[in-house]
Formats: sequence, structure tokens, C-alpha cells
Amino acid sequence: MIKYVIAALALGAAAGYLNNNFLNVIPNALVSDQLFSVTLTVLLFVFGFSFGLDKDAMDKMKRTGPKILAFPLFVVLGSLLGGLVGGLILRIDVAGAMAVSAGYGWYTLSGPLIGQLFGAELGTLGFAANFFRELLTITAIPLMVKLDKYAPVASGGATTMDTTLPVIMRYCGSDMLITAFSNGLILTLIAPFTIIAIASFI
Amino acid sequence: MILLTLIIPLAVGILLGYLLRNRKLVKLDKVSLAVIVILIFSLGFGIGSNNELLNAMPKVGFNALIISVLTILFSIAFVKAGRRMVKA
Repeated sequence: MIKYVIAALALGAAAGYLNNNFLNVIPNALVSDQLFSVTLTVLLFVFGFSFGLDKDAMDKMKRTGPKILAFPLFVVLGSLLGGLVGGLILRIDVAGAMAVSAGYGWYTLSGPLIGQLFGAELGTLGFAANFFRELLTITAIPLMVKLDKYAPVASGGATTMDTTLPVIMRYCGSDMLITAFSNGLILTLIAPFTIIAIASFI
Repeated sequence: MILLTLIIPLAVGILLGYLLRNRKLVKLDKVSLAVIVILIFSLGFGIGSNNELLNAMPKVGFNALIISVLTILFSIAFVKAGRRMVKA
């Protein structure tokens, strides 16, 4: 499974690079936005359908219940501490590094927003670091599931409702659907607020 | 946008799956793997065609990777510990 994922990612990146810089055969957005949205919509339907069919998965979900809503909170705390430690190790602006971590993997938001609040240099860092969060979640997922069943959800942050959801479903199973989706949705909603809150504290 | 492309297909899928629960149905595993591969390809395409992202890498790539790895590891540790706390 992961072989296909990494191959598709690499092929896609090569095709995107060639198309954007040399060939210009098709508009980039047709693949990176439209094709992406269509496949994601199809997958969400399929995952939802499999979850609805799966009595065990629904029962498990009912037992865990609203406790899954606490997960995003732990992701927030872990991310902020990760940013703090990273800032100290790299000897860069610690608040800035924490704001970078508070993007929770949503790089198209954190790049511009952190750039506006903390300056262009940290904006670029926020863009790249959150991109890596998404990339590492997808590519290192076989290792993560060995660490903890919920590790991919923790790692994916805000991306677990869209870009990293498909691989999470393959590696963690149907009963993770609601946990992953709600985690991503909540973190997506609070990412801009945490970044702005950190900026207003300094 | 989130509502239209994400929540609605998810909710409709769950409802339909629930209603058809007692029938014999074909496995969707093979279908979903093919669609996942296409999705990942389009994700890669977005990365490869994003010059802003590629140009940032030589400048901030190393720091970004360090922060990203630490953020991921602490998030995993906190979720693991937090789960015991709330007994989920």
C-alpha cells in the first residue's frame, strides 16, 4: 500500500513540476484542486458507506463517544510544546516557532498568516514546516501505527479531515473515521485562532 | 466549501451504509485503493507545481523539518498520554 502511495506522490510531484515549469499542457488547478476535490468527495462517501455498514466500527464509536473530542486538545498542547522545544533547539524566535506548530499541518493557511503576523521569514518556515507535517504523516504512516493506533491522527493534525484521511483509513480501519474527521475539522477551525493568540501574547 | 465537499458525502455515505447494512454487498476496498492513488497523485501534483513551496526548501527546509518532526512526536505523545487520562 505505502509503495503505491509514495510512487503516486513522487509521480504527481514530477508531473506537476514539469507541467508548471515546462509543458503547460493543462491548468495546474485542474489536477491539484478539481481532481483532488472530486476524488476526496468520492472517498468520503466510500469511507462513510463502509463505516455505516460496519456494525463493529459503529459500536466501538458509540463506546468511545464524545471523548474523541478531547483528542484535538491534546494535539494542540503537543504541537505547541513541539514548537517551543524546536524554537529553543534551533535558537529562533520561540513564539514564532510555536505559531508555526499551531498551523497543525494546514500550510496554505499558516504560510500567509504567520508571514503577516511574524514576518516573511517565519511565514516561509510555517509554510514549509506544515507541509512537512502533511508529507511525513502520509509517508511515515506504517511506522506510526506501530507506535500507537492513534498516532497518525495526532500526527496529521488539521489534515486528518482531508489530505491524510485516505491513508489513515487504510492503516487504522473504519472505526477511526469519525475520530480522524472530527480531529481534522476541529483543528482546522482553531488553527487561525491559536496562531493569532500566540501573536497577540508577544 | 467544507460542508459541501466533505461533510455531505460523508453523512450520505454513513446513512446509506447503515440502511443497506443487512444486504450482501461488494467490497469497496479495490475501488477505494485506486481512488486513493489518484488522490495522492493530485496531491503530489499540487506540491510539484507549487514553486513557492519548492523555493522555500533550500532556505528553511532544515529548520522546518526539525520543527515538524518535534511537533509530530509531541503530538503523538500527548494524544497517547491524554487517551489514558480520559480513558478513551
